[in-house]
Parts: sequence; structure tokens; C-alpha cells
Amino acid sequence: MEEGKAHPPEGVFAHLEMLEARAHEAAVKQVAMEQRKEQLARLEARVQELRQWRDELQAKVELQEQGQHGQEGVVTDPVQHSAQAVLEWKIRKVKSTLQVFYLTGISGKLSKQGVCFCISTAYEGTYLDSYYLDLLTEPEVRIHRHSIPTFIPMEQIAKKYLQTDIRRFLSVLSDHLNAYVRRRYQADQLQEHFSDQIEGTMQRNSLCNLLVFNYNPSSKSETFPFNARLLYGDLCCSLPTEVVVSCAPDAPAALAEMAAAHSDLFRRLALHKAFGSFGSAGEHVDGAQ
Amino acid sequence: MEKTEAQLLCSRTLKKGAEPLTEATLLPTCLALGGKEVLVCCVCGSAAGRLQRLPGGAGSFTMDETVAEYIRRTVLKIPRDEIKTMLQKWGFLSETQLQTINFHQMKDNISQEVVQLCEENSASIKQAAVLDIIYNHSYPNKRIWSVYQMNKTEEETDFFDLTDFRKKFKRQLRSTLKNVTINFREYENNAIWIRIAWGTPYTKPNQYKTSYVVYHSQTPYTFISSSVLKSNLPLLCQALVVASNYQDIHEMELRSHSLNSLEDIVFKRYSQNFETYCPRPLQESTAARETDLRIVQENINEKERILRVNREAFGDGPQPKLEFAEYKLETMFTSDPKLEVLHKKEPFRCTVKFHSPHLLESLKSLAPAGMADAPLSPLLTCIPHKARNYFKIREKKGFFPGSFVSP
Repeated sequence: MEEGKAHPPEGVFAHLEMLEARAHEAAVKQVAMEQRKEQLARLEARVQELRQWRDELQAKVELQEQGQHGQEGVVTDPVQHSAQAVLEWKIRKVKSTLQVFYLTGISGKLSKQGVCFCISTAYEGTYLDSYYLDLLTEPEVRIHRHSIPTFIPMEQIAKKYLQTDIRRFLSVLSDHLNAYVRRRYQADQLQEHFSDQIEGTMQRNSLCNLLVFNYNPSSKSETFPFNARLLYGDLCCSLPTEVVVSCAPDAPAALAEMAAAHSDLFRRLALHKAFGSFGSAGEHVDGAQ
Repeated sequence: MEKTEAQLLCSRTLKKGAEPLTEATLLPTCLALGGKEVLVCCVCGSAAGRLQRLPGGAGSFTMDETVAEYIRRTVLKIPRDEIKTMLQKWGFLSETQLQTINFHQMKDNISQEVVQLCEENSASIKQAAVLDIIYNHSYPNKRIWSVYQMNKTEEETDFFDLTDFRKKFKRQLRSTLKNVTINFREYENNAIWIRIAWGTPYTKPNQYKTSYVVYHSQTPYTFISSSVLKSNLPLLCQALVVASNYQDIHEMELRSHSLNSLEDIVFKRYSQNFETYCPRPLQESTAARETDLRIVQENINEKERILRVNREAFGDGPQPKLEFAEYKLETMFTSDPKLEVLHKKEPFRCTVKFHSPHLLESLKSLAPAGMADAPLSPLLTCIPHKARNYFKIREKKGFFPGSFVSP
């Protein structure tokens, strides 16, 4: 048994080894085959790609040749080409610079007989109305057409500066327009966001340089103990120059004190912001009492 | 007591509280004034409209019949489906009162119901007038409006105070004519609507022949729709000038049914073609839309020129609405003196009138439609710019500000 055991195993092992080696060989071959197949596929795809590219290029060449045949005599000069591109680029740049000027609030354009100015107004990052002014320059500078509201004292400003200092004229006019639009914006904001704290509608005029209203600092109660009268003496300014806040003569001293504090607030803050600050301050006073 | 049926109290007396009425404190309730019997309060003697019978008397005092009739007629003017919203804007009748009205019946019946409710609230002419203002504000096109311009010499900042304006206006008008009904109503665009009903020193104001004034504060322009009673116009103008701190007023020769368009014209809000760099939508040219290549526009350049020129004259946007323009020509006939034809000093007189539901839009479309040469005569295109639609055309030496010479 020992021999029998020892001999056949030798033969079996050799056989197994041989089989193992063959299997390994086969596996290696298979892997190699697969790799080659993959590579082939890749290369085929690449060929396809290159062929397509070639076709495209050929088509392009053909097109170009056709084009050159079509417009005989015209030679495309690469230098001229790029010069034109530079010119176009320059024009684009100048145009966008002009648009940036529009952002400054005053922009102008030469028209047939003069200049057309556009004055755009803004308040706290919000663009508001734009106004136009068409000036004639011959024989002397004068206003041809405009879209500036009638209550803006443009004639007076023109009388002062138009002939002598057009820059000054435009900047003063722009100041007036901006201040007007800002005053109007504040009043609109107040009407829009704090309507429950104001009795009825606020009394105002076209220039918004006099605002009169009865109000209540907190939206909780139904009565309107304070009467405010805001006078904007400086037409180039969006803050009031004179503020009178009054309450009933028989009102308690605390209320009168509050009126004085409000009048100071109105003089320093934009109207809707002053009202916004009441929200916390009003409750504070209630808590203190 | 014999006088019981005639004992009337005005609302103020009633509010004060019932003082013990004795024979001595009672005034005769019927006063004969100028041959007319006038009812007065038997305590204070005022002849206000809201008189009530003494508590305990038979029935309550009904409001003035003319007021009732006026409210009824005003309601009848309003289109049926708008009656409710207008009454809500009026705010004189409470929401619960409005709910009792059946708005789906004949207008005549609606008006009766409204009048009945107004009687409950004892409406006066003051409230009735407010309803009329609301109606006229919603339908300004029913009237014809004329623009007036005011001037002043000194230039100072004006703090327009509405209460001041009202007071001055009323005082000025009442100082010359007592019998007038004046009502104000402000609208959100800083426009003040004024309704005036005119009387004479001996008659009550006629509520059916009213004048309307629309004034935008701090502007030199007023829009007047005057009453048929023209004689009161100077009074009205004077009151306006005084109340708004100006010195003189004149008519601008600009008239239309469309109040909004007149406002757009004088406040320069109409579309003007300003050349700027501001980004604005590009207009697609008509040529680009032509798809059929076989069709060749022979006069494409000419067409584009017409469009461009037309745009320069009218701008892109819609035009203000005017219904007419009138040109009066007063020009001399000039000829060779040797011919001696019509060698007179007398000018040619002729009037040209244009009528259209929308005059400026039709003028704008004349040239593109090929019915007139472009550009149109400046006489026609200057209407919104000059803010006038009545012109007198004289020789150049004329003092007229426009100083047009006929083409």
C-alpha cells in the first residue's frame, strides 16, 4: 500500500501540475485575448472618430473653396479680419462703458441737433424713475423737450446755470429729481407698510415737501394720538428741515415726551425707517409704564 | 300746545342735550324770509338741513327733497353693475345697509332704495355732491375739459397745504357769491377734485349745472370742466389763483374729453422719442418678417424712412387721446402787385377742423398708410409738444407765440 500509495501520487501530482499549468496558460491566453479585443474596439472607435474628423475637415475645405470661388477677387486678409474684430470689440467696450455711465445717474447722447440727457434716480439701491432732457446746442443751449415733472423748478435752475455751467445745471437738476423721488418713495413706503398706524391717508402735495398725518407708534391701539407735520425746506434733500409732532394739549407728560423724541427721530431717519424703529421702542415704553 | 307740529330742533341742539324748553326760549319755527317760509330750529334759530322734530313729535324729519332727487338721478347715471362699488367708495351707507339693496332689479327701483336708505341717514347736499364727484371721477370722459395755465413772478418754494388751499378757495368764492356748494375730494395722485354748484344771490345753487376743477398741487396747470353757466368762470379762476398762490391765469387752447390725456400732455408724460443709450427693446423691422424671397420690396428704403421719420415725430408709445384740432387761418394773400389780384389788406379767413375719436393716433398712421407724405406738417405733429389743439395761423410778424406760417 505504501508503494502503491507513493507511486501513484507522484503520477497524479505530475498530472495535476500539468493540468494546472495548462489551465493557467489558458487563463493567461484568455485575458490576453480579451485585452486585445478591447484594444481593438478602442482603436476601431478611434479610427471612426478620426475618419469623421477627416470628413468634417474635408467638408470645411470644400466649403471654403466654394466660398472663395463664389466671391472671386475678394481675398480674406487675416490681418484685416483681426483689425475689424478689434474694432468691434472696442465698440462693444465703449458701449458698455456708456451703460456704466447710465448707472451714475446722468447719461447723454448726441442727437441730430443737440444732446439728449437721461437722469435716472435711485434710492437705497432701488432704481426709481428716469427723466429725459433734450437740449439744443445751436445757436445757444436751450431745452427742447423734456419729461421732467412740472413742479420741479427746472426753469429757475436753467436760468441760473444752463448758459454758464451745464455740468452744474445737470447735477442740480439731478439732485432735485433724486430728492423728490426719495421723498415720494418714503411716503409711499409708509403708506404701504404702516397703513394701520396712520389715520386715513396721509396728506401730501406733488413735491412731497409737506406731509401731514395722524399716527400711532404701535399698531395695537385704535386711536391716533400724534399729529406729525413734516416740512422739507431743502428741495435737494430727502430729510425734513422742520418737524412738528404734537399731541392733544391735555395728554399725559409721557406722551408729550414721546412726541419730542419722535420729532427728533423724523429729522434724522427716513420716514419708513423711523416708523420701523417704533416697533421695538413703542413696546419698550409700554413695558416701562 | 298749538305749535307742536312745527317744533323743530337742529342736530347740534339735540346733541347738547334737551334743555327744558319753555315758551320763552322757543323761537317761531317758521320764519318768513323774503316772502319765503324757512324752517328753523326752534332753539338756536339755524336753518340747517338736518332738522328733527321734537322727540315725541309725529314722525322724523325727512331730508331735503331736492337732495333725494339729486341722489336718485346720480344713481341712475351709474351703469347698473357699478352702482354697488361706487356706493362702497362713497362710504355714506353702511355695509349692512348696502346688503339690503337688491342690485339685480331695475335701476329705477335701485335708486329708490338708495334714496330711502339715505333718508334714514339724513343725507345732505354735501354727501350727495361727494357721490357726484365719485361718478365724475370714474367717468371724466362725459365732460369736456379745458386746460388753464397759471403764472407767478416771484419764485419761492411753495409748501402746498391742502387745508389752506381749501380754506382760501372757499373764502374767496364765498366772498363774492354766498349761494355756492363747494366740495373737495383728494385722489392718490395728488389731484384735488373740486365740484362747484352755482347759485345766484337770490337762488339756491343749481346742482345739475356744476363746474369741475381738477388741480394737481404745485403745478401751474388746472383742468376745468366749466358749467353751462359761463358767467361764473371768472370767479372760479380768481378763486383758483388766490388759493394756489399764483398771480394770473389763462386758457391754454387745449381741450379734450379725455382728462388723462390732457394730464399726460401738460405733465410731459406722453411718449416722446428720446434718443438715449438706455437699453430699450429693439423693434423688429418689417423687412425681416418677409419670408417669401420672391417678393422684393422695391421701395423698402422709402418705407423705412417713413417709419423712422414718423417715429421721430410721434415716438413709440400710444398717443394721448384728443378728439379735435382746429386751425384758424388769418393770412394775407400775396400776389404780384402788377396783377392787382386781391390786393387788399383784408386777410383770408378760413377754419380747418379735424375730428376723430383718437386724433393723434390717426395722424400717426397717416404716413405709414401712404395717405400723407412723411414727415407730416409740424402744425399737426406739434400738438402734444405745444400743448394746444386750437391754433390761429397768422403772418410771421404776428405776436402769437407759435407764429406759424401756413405752408
